[in-house]
Amino acid sequence: MKRLLPILLGIALLAAACTPTPAVEEPPPEEPGAPEEPAAPEEPAAPEEPVPLRITFAWPTFIDPAVGNDFSSSHAMTNLYDSLVFPTADGTMDPWLAESWEVSDDGLTYTFRLRDGVKFHDGSDLEASDVVYSYNRFQDIGEGFAYVVSGAEVSAPDDRTVEFQLSAQSGLFIPSLVRLYVVNEDLVRANTLAEGPYGAEGDYGKEWLLTNDAGSGPYQVVEFPLEEYLLMDKFEGWWNAAAFNPNAPDQVRFIATTETVTVRSLMDDGELEITDQWQTIEALEALDAMDGVSSMAFPTMNSFYYMMNNRKAPLDDVNCRRAVSYAFDYDQAVALEWPGTKQMVGPVPATLGGHNPDVTVYKRDLDKAREELALCQYGDDIADYPIEVVWIAEVPAEEKWALLFQANMADIGIPVEVVSNPWLSVVENTSSQETSPHIVTIYVTASLPEAGAMLQDRYHSSTAATWQQNEWLLDEDLDARIEDALATVDQEQRFAKYAELQAELADQAVSLFLYDQLQKHAVADYVDWRPEANSPVQGYQIYAPFIGVSPP
Amino acid sequence: MRLLGFLTRRGFQSIFVLFGLSILIFVIARVLPGDPARAALGARAPQWVVDRLREDMHLDEPLVAQYGYWLGDALQGDLGISLVTRRDVTDDIRDFLPASLELVMFAGLITAVGGIGLGILSARNKDKWVDNFIRIFSYMGVVTPSFVAAILLLLLFGLVLDWFPTIGRLSEGVPRPTTITGFYTIDSLLAGQFATAWDALKHLILPAVALALGSLSQEARITRSTMSDNLSKDYIAAGRALGVPERLVTGRFLLKASLIPTVSIFGLDFAATLSNAFLVELIFVWPGISRYGLNAMLRKDVNAISAVILILGITFILVNILVDLGVGALDPRIRLRAARSD
Repeated sequence: MKRLLPILLGIALLAAACTPTPAVEEPPPEEPGAPEEPAAPEEPAAPEEPVPLRITFAWPTFIDPAVGNDFSSSHAMTNLYDSLVFPTADGTMDPWLAESWEVSDDGLTYTFRLRDGVKFHDGSDLEASDVVYSYNRFQDIGEGFAYVVSGAEVSAPDDRTVEFQLSAQSGLFIPSLVRLYVVNEDLVRANTLAEGPYGAEGDYGKEWLLTNDAGSGPYQVVEFPLEEYLLMDKFEGWWNAAAFNPNAPDQVRFIATTETVTVRSLMDDGELEITDQWQTIEALEALDAMDGVSSMAFPTMNSFYYMMNNRKAPLDDVNCRRAVSYAFDYDQAVALEWPGTKQMVGPVPATLGGHNPDVTVYKRDLDKAREELALCQYGDDIADYPIEVVWIAEVPAEEKWALLFQANMADIGIPVEVVSNPWLSVVENTSSQETSPHIVTIYVTASLPEAGAMLQDRYHSSTAATWQQNEWLLDEDLDARIEDALATVDQEQRFAKYAELQAELADQAVSLFLYDQLQKHAVADYVDWRPEANSPVQGYQIYAPFIGVSPP
Repeated sequence: MRLLGFLTRRGFQSIFVLFGLSILIFVIARVLPGDPARAALGARAPQWVVDRLREDMHLDEPLVAQYGYWLGDALQGDLGISLVTRRDVTDDIRDFLPASLELVMFAGLITAVGGIGLGILSARNKDKWVDNFIRIFSYMGVVTPSFVAAILLLLLFGLVLDWFPTIGRLSEGVPRPTTITGFYTIDSLLAGQFATAWDALKHLILPAVALALGSLSQEARITRSTMSDNLSKDYIAAGRALGVPERLVTGRFLLKASLIPTVSIFGLDFAATLSNAFLVELIFVWPGISRYGLNAMLRKDVNAISAVILILGITFILVNILVDLGVGALDPRIRLRAARSD
């Protein structure tokens, strides 16, 4: 019997192998006594396989709108949830859950009228109280994008009206609402654990929302085994169903891998439609060479900065910073990136509303560099002031720009020490002026699609002790002007103020502005995806309702 | 009774080992650069949110006090909250450990059968072309890192030949079996879902072979070498002279005595495979504990790091005990020595 067992098991497995995998459940048996249906003249059509859109992503992905804020989380949340407004490619905000809004004369009260007939995925109605709950939950938890949407008291005078009372005027308030994803209050409360760090709100439903959704968006969570994939189904009851691309996918699957070989294998097997954005240039070129696959790139709200410490010699002298800026070879730096990449024009990405194209743009000019160096107080002894350039160890591609910088600076006699540091060390070192290096090389994403948001994140004193600002400007006048610009409700005036600030920061060469990053993907040819038509706000590029998938 | 005494003694020793290990991993997890709370919440999270998390996790207290909290909770089965998954680490272990164990055990099966089988074949055909071929294969297997093997296998059998699925534990659309053991192959067989079991088995093959290749080659080399040595021993010659059938000589007298180093190495390899599987798990998108541990390290998820190392430590201890028992079962001299030392 012992010898027979493996044989029997083998036969059973072999038999099972010949049996098709049960992807669809069998219909239940007919009830006894039910009248017999007349025989159908033709075989009933087999149920159609759902059309998938499969995308690789870096793990982890957080789908709780009060927790997630990275690339994959943002994309998951935009597909699962709706916000009051929706960002467009030109930087404006379309009405979304809010069909209209009014602003009080003092610019402090925003009153939103909600659209009728919006349903959550569980079929219940979306009401004003859900918006209030979502905002309060967001603020109490304080994680994710909470830093973007803050400083308001929210109330619901009736089921369709939401009122935001701001403590100070803000030109960015409406754009910031793209990050306020509305959750189903009843559903979250029903799944809230009594024990948790939020007092009477227990755990605020955080554990449940880790793998479930409570949204009203175009897709809903079906399955979310952590570390493996996030599977979402099309929500036919979406209030804006008319906006679905005629070939919008029935299912969206985020696959938790960015491994080059795995991605390539999946693409070759027809098991992947869009690759993640982390593939190297070489990997994308290889994917592009495959039949039925094309690579693509489009602008984002990311830029690559060499953050110069403005308080550390020799970079505390503006002439030395300008010398460095003129000595760097931007054309060669851009050539190391994906074709079509452009040098930054000023201190913010060109995709942002209020970007100023008329600022000083540094180009490699060794004569000018030497002139500036001669004016610098350290010019005569520059060899005694080596510059330490720190690149992020987790992003090996950054090393080539660091080495280019080292070679370029050697041309004007500035010694450069190239060092790689793990990200967490960079975060720790840049938190103190004493430990901040001369230069740290970092990609920064704007939190909102306006120049002012980036100016605040990069150069306001509130970010000086974080990785976002190794420049350590600590300039009270600059702070006041940034705050004033952000508080200006009139867009034209606001943009004018942004423009002035950008021109000044560029003139002062506070940073080395390398290039605006392109987002790069390889895409199966049967996918109709036009990310340029979407907003550059992170999370809105892979917006599945607008994507068509027509597998061969 | 003697076995019970052995197990009690080893269990008692293990308590001290685990206690020492707990101090070591606690310190290692916390000396990594960076603030875990800030790393988890992101650079743009307000300071009060970071402070609240630090308070919740006792990160604002001295290291000794932190260790006290951690040990007290761990003894009650509470390993804290993971900063990567934002849920109980015990829940993560419950989800991810079976996936890795299923993979590593299957790899162990391949190692045991393949390694010993190739070793016997090689020894019986010593210096013939079969032996030479197996030796070359073994050398290549030993020097090939598992992630390189994983990439080659994936490209060949997943991409070019398309024989096996390349990612995950089950194909798209295949329903997951009800969790009993957490091993998809076993759970689906228990539920009578044979097609699902087959699908799960197909998903296991490539990553398991990639993981097994190194230890399989090592086992084959050790088995061959020990068997070759033992072949020249008197008791083998005596057995053959007495007309004992060759199958019995090889299977009972020769193999049993030759397996002792193989079993010892196998045990160590098995436990090491569990901790070294992260690259293979990454490549095959396998939701295992090793990959979870890697993510924890990269994000300074202190509780998850501690838990994963603790699990690996316990695995090493258990496997070592099993190896000692196995070696004792194979060689009565070792049992006798152990009994005398008691």
